[in-house]
This record gives sequence, C-alpha cells and structure tokens, in this order.
Amino acid sequence: MGLTEHIVMRELDIPDISDFAVYRRHGGWEAYRYALTEKTPADIVQMVKDSGLRGRGGAGFPTGVKWGFLPKGVYPRYLLCNCDESEPGTFNNHQIIDKNPHQLIEGVALSAYAIEANVAYIYMRGEFAAAARTLERAIAQAYEAGFLGKNILGTGFDLDIYVHRGAGAYICGEETALMESLEGKIGQPRLKPPFPAVAGLYGKPTIINNVETLANVPRIVEKGVAWYRSHGTEKSPGTKCFSLSGHVNRPGNYELPFGVPLRELIESPEYGGGMKGGRPVKIIIPGGASAPWLTADHLDLPLDYESLAAAGSMLGSGAVIVLNDTVSAPYVAYKMDEFFKHESCGKCTPCREGTHWLVRTLHRMVEGHATAADIDTLHSIYRQMAGNCFCLLGESAVMPIKSALQLFPHEFEALVKRSSSRNGHQIPLTVRH
Amino acid sequence: MTLLDIHQAEIETILARYASKRSAVLPLLYLAQDTYGYLTDEAIREVATILDLPPTDVFEVVGFYTLFYNRPVGTWVLQVCDDVPCCFCGAEELIAALKHSLGINEEETTPDGMFTLQRVKCLAACDRAPVLQANLDYVYDVTPDRVDTLLNNLRERAAEARKRGVSGRFAEDYEFTRDGRLVQIERFSPYRPREFAGEASPPPVTPPPAVAPEADSGVDRSETRKASPL
Repeated sequence: MGLTEHIVMRELDIPDISDFAVYRRHGGWEAYRYALTEKTPADIVQMVKDSGLRGRGGAGFPTGVKWGFLPKGVYPRYLLCNCDESEPGTFNNHQIIDKNPHQLIEGVALSAYAIEANVAYIYMRGEFAAAARTLERAIAQAYEAGFLGKNILGTGFDLDIYVHRGAGAYICGEETALMESLEGKIGQPRLKPPFPAVAGLYGKPTIINNVETLANVPRIVEKGVAWYRSHGTEKSPGTKCFSLSGHVNRPGNYELPFGVPLRELIESPEYGGGMKGGRPVKIIIPGGASAPWLTADHLDLPLDYESLAAAGSMLGSGAVIVLNDTVSAPYVAYKMDEFFKHESCGKCTPCREGTHWLVRTLHRMVEGHATAADIDTLHSIYRQMAGNCFCLLGESAVMPIKSALQLFPHEFEALVKRSSSRNGHQIPLTVRH
Repeated sequence: MTLLDIHQAEIETILARYASKRSAVLPLLYLAQDTYGYLTDEAIREVATILDLPPTDVFEVVGFYTLFYNRPVGTWVLQVCDDVPCCFCGAEELIAALKHSLGINEEETTPDGMFTLQRVKCLAACDRAPVLQANLDYVYDVTPDRVDTLLNNLRERAAEARKRGVSGRFAEDYEFTRDGRLVQIERFSPYRPREFAGEASPPPVTPPPAVAPEADSGVDRSETRKASPL
C-alpha cells in the first residue's frame, strides 16, 4: 500500500528538497504564486474544505471548516503553526522541518493568505533549537525570493512569518495555552468558548494548525482536490506521517495513506520491519500517549480516524508506540502518567492532584509495595479525573491507567500478590488479606 | 553592562515581532540566561524592566518553563529522555553510564562546573531512542559505551559552549556514525535513508523493573477480565 508520490515527506522522492533552489525547481512556491495572483482567499478556503483535509495534531477536525469559523470583517487575524511536538511517541514535525522546511513555510504562507492574516507565528517547543534555526534560515530565503514581506508579488498582500520558541512545556501544545505562552504568560489553557477563531492571540481572530496539516496545503492547491482525495479513505482523505517507535526493528516516520492496516505498518519490511527479536506484540499505543491502548488482537485495524474510534481508541497524532511482552503494563502506565504529572500546568485540581496521586500510587506498586486497596484507589482516581479536567491534558492522563486496568488487570493483581507475599515490604496498616 | 547595552540590536529585533511587548519574555529570558550563565534574580528583574512588567510576572514565567534555570548549571546541561519508549530502549542504561562517568546524580552539577545531568520528558525523537540533548543540541545514537567519547568531545568544546550559552540559540545537531565517531549533522543536507543497526537480531534489552511475564502465570485471563470493575 505504499505511495508512488509522497505528499508531505517529499524528501523520500527528492532527497535534496531541503535546498531552496531544488524546492523551487520542483514547483515549490508556485501554488502560492497561483493563489495570490489568480485566486481569492475564499477560493483557497473552499479548496481546503473540499479536500477534506483534517487536522493532524490529534483532534482530526476538518481544517477548512475551522477556517470558516472566522468572524467576517474582523482584523487583524493571526495564523499560528503549532510545532510544540512533545507527546511521547510523536516526532514527525521534526523530520518535516529538517528535510522539507520550505513546503511547511509555503503552507503557512498560503494558509495565512487564505484566512487573510498578515502575521503568522510558528510556535516551536524550546528543545527544537536547531530546527528553529533551520526554519529561520528557510524563512529568510523566502523573504529574499520575494514571497514574504510587503506587497508580495505586487498583489498588495503583506505577510510576516516569525519563529517563536517555547521553553519546555507540553501543555503549550494545547491551542489556548499556546496563545497564552506566545503572549508571554505561563502556559495555562483558557476557557472555551470563546474559541480562538473568534478571540485568540491578543484577543483577535486566530487560527491554529499543526505542522503536518499546513505542510499539506501547498500540495492541495498545486495538484487539486480530486488528486488529494484519491489518497486515503472517504472520511480521512490524504496521507498521514505515522511515527512508529518502540520495540520494532525500523522505528521512524512513514507516510502512508489513511486506512493502511496497523499490521502492515508494523510488519512490512519497508516500514516497521517487524518486532525486535521476533517477540510478540503486547501493547500498541496508536495515537500518542493520550490514546487508549490496543493489543495484538487489533493488528488488522485500518489506521484512520473512524476505525480507531470504533475500536475504542484514537488515531490522535498518528504516533504509534509498539511494546513487546517484556514490558509490564503497570510500569508503562506509571511512566506515561509520570509524563502527564510532570506536564500538568497546575491550573485545575482534578489534573494537578489526580496525576500526582496516580503517579504516587503506581510508583509504590511497581516498586513492590502494592496493597489490595491500591487497585480500587486507581479506579477511583481516574474516575474522578475523567470529564472533570479543564483541558484535554488531564483527560489524556486517564487513558494509560484506564487502559492498563482494563486490558491487564491480572498484572496489577500480581503486583499486589507479590508484595503481600514478601512480608516486611508492605506498609502494614493498609494491607488487606 | 546591562543586557540592553550588550544586545541592543537583537532585543529591538525581537520586540518588533510582536504586537505586545510582553510576548518577548521567552526570547529575552533565553538571551539573559546565555549572557549570565543562568537566570539570577537581577537578570530576571532586568528583563522585567525592559518589558515594563512587574518582576513577579517574569519570575512566574521562569518557574513555569523547564528550560529556564534559576540556579547555576554546568557549561553543558545534559538532558536524557526517560519517557516511553526511551525507557524501554536503553535510557536507564544510558543514564546509569552517565552517572557513573560523571560521578553525579540527576539534577547535580560536576564539581568542576562542566556538566549538569537531568532526566527530562519526551524530546520528540523517539525513533532514535534513547535520546540525549547537550545544551539543546540533539546527540543521536549515544550508547553507554560511547558516553566517554561524548563527554571528552564536550569537554574539548567547553570554551565554545560557554560562548554559546545553554539556551540553544546557536544549536546544532550531532550524531554518532556507525563506527563510533561523533559528527555534526549538516543543515539542509539531502535526505538519506537511515541504516538500522543489525536488522536481523538486535542486542537484548534489559527488562524494566516490576513484573511482566511472571504476572501472566497461573492467572486465567478471561476470568480476571470479567472480574474487573470495568
């Protein structure tokens, strides 16, 4: 089910596309020129709407529809590109920037034109320090070529793109927290509504899109809606850069059409190349840390938004972590929730306290001091968190522990048994026999 | 010399990007951190003065973000990801090797002020797990037996690192070649397919703590699933 031509990871077809001249030679920036000189912003919005492009950041919301939420006649507007990629398992933004940066910048510029924004910010996580420099240089090349700046191509359209580096906070990938951070505050999310399209950065209408989403836009404008829709499935058109990691022979980014079976991604010698040492699959986390887990029973699921949702999980950011039978489910849940505990911004109580107590309880259990009451405690904690958190970070923290308890309850029970059989390691007052 | 005297032109460029002065707080804190080595109280107040902000607001920002250091750090800040999947791909072994070579624990700095070691959360390069950053330069494919090569290389580049600062404003990425040399990754370099070491049979990975396989023994799966409160 491989692609004859990549949409986003074009470096696989044209290895030196990171060079500005090479990108230009292969039609780079021509979609932008065409849009500016022959199409109105509304035409581009309609085109993206028709293409069925869905946000690649995790929610899968249709991009054109999101753009349509902007209130008419309210300016200035801002475009933000979300490059705060920091969820365990996600790493495709990094490759897009390193190997195909001009397509991303053209996508940002085109989308800014479509939503009539004159300033766009690319918000990068602070750790992408070298990648930020790469983008800054690529942006400078676009300025030199006359694609950014004032009165671009004589059309009267002005656009400036800036790179803004965060400073180490996963929560800033949440769209309203990202805006808070860009405004120079601590990255705590805002209450929605109002949604960013109505009142976003500096209270102005703002559109936020993921790196991969925006990198798709130039190809849609260049090759047309029908060509784009010939990839993927009816409801999830196009391709996805799946980030495959964990116990596979060939971890990496693989751009495949939506609907490719999970088994093919993991086992095909072109992609995952099978499990390391031929060990069996135990846990598959199909959409980044916040996705409910799958097991080897789900290997034949097609990877698209609908199929994974039907299986009780989510495609999310397309970060597929595959773990083998040497891992302990409680330990994976502990590590995952430790991530969420560390990244919780502290604004709302269910998330701040919930992640903290999940980690305390799980830590004690995996260190060999589990008590029978701990399992009930875990159930109780995540139930109090689910649906009660201010933003999705807290809701996401529920998924690892809920999945672990649902799929591998016997491992938690084994932890309890093992601890209580080792007298002296218990915390005596809380042990129930 | 104040921050404004040293970096007048750069600060003006940064401020010109934003509709509100306050937006420049993160870039200016990076600048201050690189100028003074870490964010002293005076440095934070200086940034507040430049941006016309109450100092408390800037202290709050420094406390919230993990890449701002409000206490002295080494010339090189080594950050190792210990998240899933890194923790199952050798991060614990790598951290142990670093601790052994440096003679320090996490969050400590070597007595000569050269290295600070930190465990951090996901660095978004899980395909190259375990992932390490030195002053926000990615260094790919570090294994326990390459730790000494890495540390020696970093010691040699200490003067350069002091000039560049710890905030990654001049970051470059590095990787180990298959024969164990540390090389800089060229920016805008052509894509080349990755070589996967020993695609046939990789080295065994030390299993993580806690239970796993034995937990399955003697427990009827379908029974326990039904018994689960879920």
